[in-house]
Amino acid sequence: MKNFLMRFDWLGFAAVVALVAIGAAALASAGAARGGAVMAAKWKSTLWTAAFGFVLYFALAAADYRRLLDWAATPAYALAIVLLVAVLAFGTVQFGGRRWLWFFQPSEVSKLCVIAFLAHHFGDADGGGPEWKTRFGGFLAASAAVLAPCALILLEPDLGTALVLVPAALVMLLAAGVWRKGLVAATAVALVCAAAVLGAVHEAERPGVSPERRAAILRCVPLKEHQISRVRTFLFPETDRMDSGYNLRQSMMTIGSGGLNGKGYGRGESIRRQLLPPMGIMNDFIFCVWAEEMGYIRGSLPLLALFALLCVATARTAARAGDGRGRLLALGVATLLFAHVYVNIGMSIGLTPITGLPLPFLSLGRTFLVTAMCGLGMVQSVAIHGTTNGRDTEE
Amino acid sequence: MKPKADVSFAGAVSFWLLSAFFAVGFTTLAVRLKEIQVDGAANFRKEMQTQSFRRVKTAGVRGRIFDRNGAPLADNRLSLNIVVNPEAYRARKRGEKTEDLLMSAIAAAAKVVGRAPAVTEKSVGRHLRVELARPLTVWRDVTDAELARFSERNREFPGFDCVAEEERVYPEGASSVHLVGRVGREFIPDAPGEARANYSEKDLCGREGLEYQYDDYLRGMPGEDRVLVDARGYATSRETLIEPRDGFDLALTIDAGLQREAARLFGGLKGACVALDPRDGSVRALVSAPAYDPNECVPVFRREVYERLLKEPGKPLLNRATAGTYAPGSIFKPITALAALASGLNPADTYECIGWYELGGMKIRCSRTWGHGGENLAHALRDSCNPYFCHAGIMAGTNMISSVCREFGLGRRTGIDFPTDAAGLIPDAAAKAKRTADPAAAGWRLGDLAQMSIGQGLLLTTPIQMARMVAALGSGSLATPRLNSSIPASVRPLKISPRSLAAVREGMRQVVDGGTGRLAGEGVDANVIGKTGTAQVGLGPTKRKNVWFVAYATPTATSRTREPLAVALVVENGDSGGGTAAPMVAELLKAFYNSPSAEGNEPT
Repeated sequence: MKNFLMRFDWLGFAAVVALVAIGAAALASAGAARGGAVMAAKWKSTLWTAAFGFVLYFALAAADYRRLLDWAATPAYALAIVLLVAVLAFGTVQFGGRRWLWFFQPSEVSKLCVIAFLAHHFGDADGGGPEWKTRFGGFLAASAAVLAPCALILLEPDLGTALVLVPAALVMLLAAGVWRKGLVAATAVALVCAAAVLGAVHEAERPGVSPERRAAILRCVPLKEHQISRVRTFLFPETDRMDSGYNLRQSMMTIGSGGLNGKGYGRGESIRRQLLPPMGIMNDFIFCVWAEEMGYIRGSLPLLALFALLCVATARTAARAGDGRGRLLALGVATLLFAHVYVNIGMSIGLTPITGLPLPFLSLGRTFLVTAMCGLGMVQSVAIHGTTNGRDTEE
Repeated sequence: MKPKADVSFAGAVSFWLLSAFFAVGFTTLAVRLKEIQVDGAANFRKEMQTQSFRRVKTAGVRGRIFDRNGAPLADNRLSLNIVVNPEAYRARKRGEKTEDLLMSAIAAAAKVVGRAPAVTEKSVGRHLRVELARPLTVWRDVTDAELARFSERNREFPGFDCVAEEERVYPEGASSVHLVGRVGREFIPDAPGEARANYSEKDLCGREGLEYQYDDYLRGMPGEDRVLVDARGYATSRETLIEPRDGFDLALTIDAGLQREAARLFGGLKGACVALDPRDGSVRALVSAPAYDPNECVPVFRREVYERLLKEPGKPLLNRATAGTYAPGSIFKPITALAALASGLNPADTYECIGWYELGGMKIRCSRTWGHGGENLAHALRDSCNPYFCHAGIMAGTNMISSVCREFGLGRRTGIDFPTDAAGLIPDAAAKAKRTADPAAAGWRLGDLAQMSIGQGLLLTTPIQMARMVAALGSGSLATPRLNSSIPASVRPLKISPRSLAAVREGMRQVVDGGTGRLAGEGVDANVIGKTGTAQVGLGPTKRKNVWFVAYATPTATSRTREPLAVALVVENGDSGGGTAAPMVAELLKAFYNSPSAEGNEPT
């Protein structure tokens, strides 16, 4: 128990508590503004979900992550694949995607399963593990392990989840030393490809391009029409005011109108007047509400600071981790959180294409809230049971 | 196990690299957020305002139109309308459509109100697309009973509201429709240079008559409301930025009683009547028959009403008083007389009427086929002798007659403050050539001059021109007719010798005093002079007679009214000027001059 309290990552925990509190406050304001008893009470149910998440958080923190990984990493991964297939077969269609299975979204759960699976199997790559894992073979195996769920998630379609899972896996594999040189090169190639796609869309959608030429260019781009339109909006936010550009324009207007000091808690206009899509306001666009009501100084910056604190605290746990598996696990969770925050906030200010991705601890979405808390609970377990910097490192 | 230090080293590298990566990411977000929230705040706030407000132009209450005594000719009444705010029925669930929700609510409310709504699925759909932020009027002019039924259960219908709206009403109905005109509804136009408003109420706008002539004056200044809307365009709140200013009231020179009486005279006849004050041109009555009830055109002039009126044989939409052009017939003879007098005719000289006037093989017949015998000017006017005036006209010549016509304002617009004001036609060689197909017959001949002299041929005049003419004959000065009592009178003395005028007036006195127009003075408590006219129109089977009487009356010592009055009255397809038109003028003059008790004693 003494170990538990001494080694517990209080900084990260404090950040989570603060973020959960901010999330409840933002949801309460947004729900009240949206109207209806169900929406107005969402913050309470979210707090109950968070309470359940904290129970899992402490349970996982108390448990030894090594034993957990030994016992559950592979079955959990297999179960995630099964659920992802099941959601494609039996899932409920909502907001243009088949993402829901009964009461939860398998794609959210699968993020943690993939990270745990990679951590478990490639944690020994850097030392003690079989040689092949550090070579191209290891890369192939890891890629297969990541890309199989990614492909299933993309079929839903859920571009956002795939978008955050790939960087998390990449950071893990780089840290694990799997085919390091090749991976750096492959990353570079992927970045070049991404730039090429952006360039191609830019070339095709640039004003004054003939429709034939546009069609010819876009035939070479492996994206769907609605994805292309989002990329176009990302590239030319001003040209596309009514369709895809509408949300971006509205979200930037909402955030911008908050100004330095905000309009005051509960005084946001964007929801009451439905300047933002009502379905997204408590999910993907919750940041807009917070930023509008609290402003830059009191809203946006503290929130970014808390997320930064949480990411860095998690990364510090990785640095102190006693073994490869713990380190990879913490790195994966940290990168996943960072990617979520960056993509979610970035999409409402024109830094990333608009895609459905929750903001951790703020967005309404129980599956991801519980998933994130489980991940952070396992990171606490790494801090408690596997750190090297503690007073008694020997076990 | 690897040595501890190695793991720590790898961990440290991961930590710093990743932290640097995170730092770059969070810094990017923070910088971009600063751009938006700090640098761009003012612009985004402004954008939010402009995106969220809709400017709605609101109409002021239209001014009323009164007669000279303050009796309303065009008034406003409150119409109670039931409107619905679409916001209350917006679709909130998937698969719902606002249009369907709204239509079913309207259908349910219709059962309570007990009247079919004034909207269709199409018009509701259009309203939602075009005027979403504005309430939709579902019932106009609900009765007290309908409103009571609805109020009892209005809790079941959120978003429904009862609003009072000004509606035009014409208390005098058909009798003044051509004078007052009618209104339509149109969106309030933007003022020049003003940014386009998002919405506009439909304002009453004058379409015809005085409603059209004084539209700007009656309409007042539009106001402006600001409606706060959400992203879907539903109204969330509204406030008034500029109160609309009501239009001005218009006080006319018209005498509503006289106007009503003039309209009544026509019964089923077609024709027109204009009465005016010869001293300053104040129009006392302006009537065209047949007429229609302008209240039929409120709140909107429906197509079927318009088409029905258009097809009616009497052409009720035509304002005969100012736009109807007629050959004046014998009422033109005073003009011919003045032209001849100016050319040296002695009024006492006699001309031998043999029953016709022969001119190059063409005979112009007189009303008395066996001839009047020797006639001087006064007798010729009294008897309306055609040969005398053919003779007099040829003696004066076309140019002299034309110049007298100009002196009396014929052949051009009268300048009345009214939208329709036909010029008519004083024919000359050029006018005839333009209107004649056969070049051989196109020349201006003596026959044409003779026809013109007796008010026939190509000569065309309007009733208001004739009223103005007889007013000038009686008073010696030509006044521009006016309807608005607040515009200054415009009167100019005739450049005609008073002796000539006196000679013509003597003839016109004899017309009423035992001549062709004796019925015009019967029982009238005023001194009346006048002239009858019977104009042949068309040839063969379509031959008709338009009959006229023009009168100039001055009050006697016992007259109820102390003002002179000039009247021109024309009846289409009448019998004769003396038989048809003169008694009607007498009735009108009695209504104006006789005191009510004396009128009651009149044998009918």
